[in-house]
Amino acid sequence: MRVGVEVGGTFTDLVAVDTAGVRVVKVPSTPHSPEEGVFAALAAAGISLDAVDDLVHGSTIATNAVLERKGGLTALVTTIGFRDILLLRRGDRPQIYQLIYRKPQPIVERQHSFEVNERVLANGSVHVPLDLAATEQMLREALAGAPFQAVAVCLLNAYINPAHERAIAVLIRKHFPALHVTCSHEVAQEFREYERASTTALSAYVQPVMDRYLGRFDDRLRAEGFKGRFSIMQSNGGRLPASAIRRNAITALFSGPAAGVAGAVRQGVLAGRRNIITFDMGGTSTDVSLITDAEPGIAAETTVDGLPVRTPVIDISSVGAGGGSIVWRDAGGLLRSGPQSAGAMPGPACYGRGGREPTITDAHLIRGTIPPDSLLGGHMPLDLDAARAAFGPLAAEFGMSLEQIADSAIRVANANVVRAIQLISTETGHDPRDYVLMPFGGAGPLHAGSIAEDLGIPTIVVPPNAGVLSAYGLLAADFTQFAAVTRKIPLDANAPSAVRETFADMAAKAVEQFRASGITAPPTLGCTLNMRFVGQAFELDVPLSSADLDAMTETSLFDAFERRHQQVYFHSAGSGIAGKKVEVVGLRLRASAPEPAFDLPVRHLTNQAPLSERQVFIDGALRTCTIVPCDHVRLEAGLSGPALIADITSTIYIPPAWQAQMDRNGSLIVHRKEV
Amino acid sequence: MAVDPVDRAVITQALLAAAREMGTKLVRSAYSTIVREARDASAAILDREGNVVAQAEMVPMQLGSMGTTLRPCLAHYRLDEIEEDDFFVNNHPYQGGQHLQDVFIFSPIFVSGRLVGFAGSVAHHLELGGGGVGLNNAATDLYQEGLIIPPTKYNRRRDWDGGAFERLLGANIRVPEQTLGDFNAQFAANATGTERVRQLCAKHGTDVVEDVMVGLIDYTESQLRAAIRALPDGVYYGEDWVDDDGITDEPLPIRVKVTIAGDTLDVDFAGTAPQVRTNINSPLASTGSAVMSCVKGVLLPPEVPCNEGSFRPITLRVPQGSILNPNAPAPVRARMEPCYRAYDAIMKALAPIVPDRAIASGFDATLVACLSKTIPGGFRVCMEVYGGGFGASVAADGADGIAAPLSNCTNQPVEALDMEYDFFRIASYGFEPDSFGHGRYRGGLGQRREYEVLADDVQFTLYADRLRVAPLGLEGGTPAQLTRCEILRNGSRLNVDPRKVVTLRTGDRIVIATSGGAGYGNPRERPSELVQNDVRQQIVPASVARTVYGEVV
Repeated sequence: MRVGVEVGGTFTDLVAVDTAGVRVVKVPSTPHSPEEGVFAALAAAGISLDAVDDLVHGSTIATNAVLERKGGLTALVTTIGFRDILLLRRGDRPQIYQLIYRKPQPIVERQHSFEVNERVLANGSVHVPLDLAATEQMLREALAGAPFQAVAVCLLNAYINPAHERAIAVLIRKHFPALHVTCSHEVAQEFREYERASTTALSAYVQPVMDRYLGRFDDRLRAEGFKGRFSIMQSNGGRLPASAIRRNAITALFSGPAAGVAGAVRQGVLAGRRNIITFDMGGTSTDVSLITDAEPGIAAETTVDGLPVRTPVIDISSVGAGGGSIVWRDAGGLLRSGPQSAGAMPGPACYGRGGREPTITDAHLIRGTIPPDSLLGGHMPLDLDAARAAFGPLAAEFGMSLEQIADSAIRVANANVVRAIQLISTETGHDPRDYVLMPFGGAGPLHAGSIAEDLGIPTIVVPPNAGVLSAYGLLAADFTQFAAVTRKIPLDANAPSAVRETFADMAAKAVEQFRASGITAPPTLGCTLNMRFVGQAFELDVPLSSADLDAMTETSLFDAFERRHQQVYFHSAGSGIAGKKVEVVGLRLRASAPEPAFDLPVRHLTNQAPLSERQVFIDGALRTCTIVPCDHVRLEAGLSGPALIADITSTIYIPPAWQAQMDRNGSLIVHRKEV
Repeated sequence: MAVDPVDRAVITQALLAAAREMGTKLVRSAYSTIVREARDASAAILDREGNVVAQAEMVPMQLGSMGTTLRPCLAHYRLDEIEEDDFFVNNHPYQGGQHLQDVFIFSPIFVSGRLVGFAGSVAHHLELGGGGVGLNNAATDLYQEGLIIPPTKYNRRRDWDGGAFERLLGANIRVPEQTLGDFNAQFAANATGTERVRQLCAKHGTDVVEDVMVGLIDYTESQLRAAIRALPDGVYYGEDWVDDDGITDEPLPIRVKVTIAGDTLDVDFAGTAPQVRTNINSPLASTGSAVMSCVKGVLLPPEVPCNEGSFRPITLRVPQGSILNPNAPAPVRARMEPCYRAYDAIMKALAPIVPDRAIASGFDATLVACLSKTIPGGFRVCMEVYGGGFGASVAADGADGIAAPLSNCTNQPVEALDMEYDFFRIASYGFEPDSFGHGRYRGGLGQRREYEVLADDVQFTLYADRLRVAPLGLEGGTPAQLTRCEILRNGSRLNVDPRKVVTLRTGDRIVIATSGGAGYGNPRERPSELVQNDVRQQIVPASVARTVYGEVV
C-alpha cells in the first residue's frame, strides 16, 4: 500500500492507494506535534503500518520554523569584513513611501556572526589563504559561546571555489560533532552573496528542527511495524528519502504547495492534458502555478517571510485569497477581499466560532454556492444567519442587497486570483488560453468557473477528491533532485561541447547522489540553460531536451535564446550596438527517478436519485442551479450549468454556458459550450 | 460613465500590476550594475495628457516627476502627430527633467488607432558623456554634465537598432554597450506596459479603462485632501541645511513655510539659499518630486497608490534663482542633496501636528561614489549609491542600513563587482556601530564600505551631504553622526576633498561611512531590554549605554 499524508495548518489529509482502491481521510492537524495528526489519520483510515510499502509526507514544519522563528540557534561564519551580510540585506524597502519600517527579523543575530580571514576571488583563485590554526582557534571559542545547534558557512565567491568552506566545515565537525553545518556551496552555487548567505542561514536554521522531527517520526514508524520507504516532498515537486532531507532540510521548505502541483501533473496527464494552470485555493491563500508539457515551471529563487531562498522551487505564485479572506471597504471606498484572513480560528462567521467579520466562505453561503450542510460531508453545519449578520454593515454602506454584496465580494476575490495567474502566465510570455485550469483545495473548484471565464480559458479539469489533491500528489511525485552551477560559457562554436561536458559532470554527480540515497533506478535527466546577452545580469531559462542537447549548435542555441528574449522582453538582439553577444552563465540539472505509476480503479457512476435544485445568486442574477452528487450517472452523459456538484472534499460550480462530464478516471472535464 | 465598482477595482489593480511588471522587466534586462543591481530606475503608466496613473514602487524621486517630464514633450508635438512606434525622450533639467543621467522614455499606447496613454520609464544611466567619466563634479554649467536630450520624438523602427538616434547617442557616451543596453531595457519595460493596457482595453473596453484611469487619480487626490483636512489649519515652519556649496564652508539653508488651509497644502521655500556655482542645484521637477514624496509618506498610508493626484492639493512656491529652482544653465548633478534638505524641512514643519507619523531626520542624502579607469580602447566605470540609517519614530527604532527615502537603490553585490571590475575590490561592508542618534527609540545604523584599489590611475569622486551638518532628532532624541569619506595611502589619511576628482594608486583604500538616523524621545526612557540587546549585538558600546541611557551592562 502507498500512503501520502499532507499536514496543513488546519487539516491533515491522507490518501491511501492499493489494489482495492483509494481511501481518503481528513483529520484536524496537531500543530504542537504534527506527527500526532499523521498517526491519527492512519488510525482513522484503519491502516496498519506493516502493510504500508511507501509513505510520503509533506509538511509545513520547515516554513513554520522560519515564520515563528523557532529554528535551531544558528551561527554564521563568513569572510572577514562581511559579518553584517544577513542584516544589511539588499538595502531597499518594499514600500517606498513607508517611513516607519523595520527589516524582517533576522534568523542569525549580529552577535552570532563570526569572521574568518580569507578571500577567494571571482575567478576562483585564492587571494588570502585560510589560516587553519587561527581559524580553528577562533571557531573553538566562538561556537562554545552560546548553545548553538547549527552553523551556516558562507564565504565570498565560494560558489566558484568552495575549498575554504569545506575546510571550515571539517574544523567545526572536528570540535563540535553535534552541530549541523551547512555550507553555501552545498545549497546554492550561484553569485550574489546576500541571497546565497540567506539561503545558507535558513537551511542551517531549519536543519535541527527537521532532523529532530523526522528522526522522531521515523522512530515511531519503525516502532509501529513500518518496514517500507519513508520519503519527504520537496519544494521542487519531487520527493527524496527522509534520510536525505534530514541532511538538506531547506529543499522541503514549501513541500505542501509543491505536492499539489505534483498531483495536478499526474491527474492532468491521466486526463490527456499536459498544459495546466493549477489553482489551489484553501482557507487563507491561493497558490497558482504553470505546468507546460507536463513540466511545472521552476523558479530559481523564492522568499519566506521576506527572506530570500535561492534554491529551485516550483514557480508558485501566492495571493491572500481564500475561504477565510476578510471582505472590507478601504479608505477610498473600494470593496476589497483579503489578504487578511479569519484563519482557522475564529474562522468565517458562519463557522460559529466567534468570527464576526465577513469572509468569502460567508459570501458563498449567502449566495447559495455553498449549501449549509456541505462541509466535511455535513459534519460541520454552517450558520447562515451569522454570515448574513457579518455582511450587513457592508451591504448598507454600498447600498446593495446581501446577495449582491456577497456576489461582488467573490468577484473581487476572483480578480485577485486572476492577477496571480497572469503573473505566472502572461507576464512570462505564456497565454493562459493555451492551458486548462485545474482547481483543487477546499475552495478552488467553487471559483474556477468564473476565473476561467475571466481569463478566456476554455476548459477546466477538476481532479477526483480535489480537496485532498496535495496528499494524492505526494504519491505521484518522482524522486527528484536539482543541481545548479554558475558556469560562464560564451556562445561560440565551442559552446555546445562545453555545455555537454558540464552537463555530463553534473549528471554523474546526480546519479551518484541518488545511489547514495538508496535510489537505484537510473534517473532521467533534464537540462536548463541560464542565458543572457553579454552585459545583462539576469538570465532567461532556456530548457533543452536530451535530443536538443545532442543536436545543438551555436546557431540553434542562439535562436532558442532569442525567441525566449523576444517573448519576455518584446525585443531581441536587433541590429543595434548593444547586446548582440550571448553567453551561457549557468546550468540547471533536474534528475528524477520516476516511480512506477499506479492504476486507479475506473470510476463507476451508480447514483440515479432524482436531482434537486436551488436558487443561487451569481454574477448579479438569481439563477436556478442543479445540485448533483459527484457519483451521479448524469455526469457520464454531460451536464449543463448552472450546477453545483457536491464532492466529499469540495463543491464544484459549473457556470451557465458550461458543460461538465466525468471521464473514466473520475476527473470532471468542464467545457465552455460553443456559442 | 458608470463603471461597475468591481470592474473598477479589478482594472485599478491590473494597472498597478502592469506598472510593477514594467519595473521588473526593466531591471532584469538591464546591463549596467547601477540599473540591474542597484535598481536605479522606475516605470509608470500615464494618461493621454501626461498624468501619472499607476507607478511601480521603485525610486520616489524619479517617479514624482514622470508627468512633469512628459508634459513638455506633449507641448512640442500635436497628439495626431504621434505614431505607434514613436517614443519621446527627455532628460532636460530645465524642461521638466531632473539631472541628465535620468533619461525618461515615453511610448504611446495605441488601442485600435486611439491614443490611450503612455508607458514611461526612466533609468539612471551610468555614463552619458560630459566632462568627466561617469561623474563630473567640477562642472560649472549643464553642458559639462553630459549629453542634453531635450523633449524630442523619435521612431523606434526608424531611429533605433542602428538608426540615427541610437548612433548619435552611442557616439557621445563612453560605455555605449551598457548605456544603450539600458535604453533597450527601458523599451522592454514600455512594451510591457503598452501590451498590458491594450489587453485591459480589449477585455473591458477602452472607454471603461480610460474612465478608471481618471478615477484612480481622483481617488488618490481625494485621499490626500481628506488627510490634509484632518490637520489643524495653520502655518508651520521647517529648516535644514545643505553642508556647503563645495567652494566655501557656509551651510546653505533650506527654509520652508507650510500653510494648511482646509484640504490644501501650500509649500513656500522663500528664504532658501540662492543657486550655487557647483552642481548642488535642484531643478524644479526634482524639488516638486521631493515635496510630494514627503507629503505622501507622512500623510497617506502606503496602500494608497501614488500618482498625479498626489500633487493636486499641493501648491508649490519656489523662488526663481534659488538652489531649489535655479536658472539655466546651472549644473544640477547633485540635486538630490538640496532635495533631501527640502524633504527634511517639510518633515520638521509637519512633525508637531503629526507626531505619530513623522520621523526624525535620517541619513537622508545621496552619496554617489564613482570609480573609473581608462583602458585600451575605452573606459570602465562603476557607480555606487549609498544608504544609511532612517530616523526613529514615536513607535520604533529607525530602519538600519537602508536606501534613503527619496531613493530605493539596492546595494550592489560584492560578488557582482568582483566579477565586473578588476581595478578595485570591496574589502569590507557592514554597519557602522554607534553612527546613529539615541532616544527612546534610536535611529537606524549607518553603513560602512571599504574599497581597496588594485591599479594605478584610478579616478575616484563622489558627491554627498551630511559631511558637516548632522541629522537632528525629535522630542529630545540626539543627532546622528556625520557621514565621512576617507582615503588612506600607506595607512595614513590623505588630505583631499573626495568631492574633487582624486587619482588613486594601487594599495590605496577608500572608506565611506554614512550617517545613521537621529533619535526620537528621551534616551532615559528607552526600555532596558532594548538597550541591553543593542549592547549584546555590539551596536552600542557599554560605555554609551551607561552614559547616554543610564544602563548598567
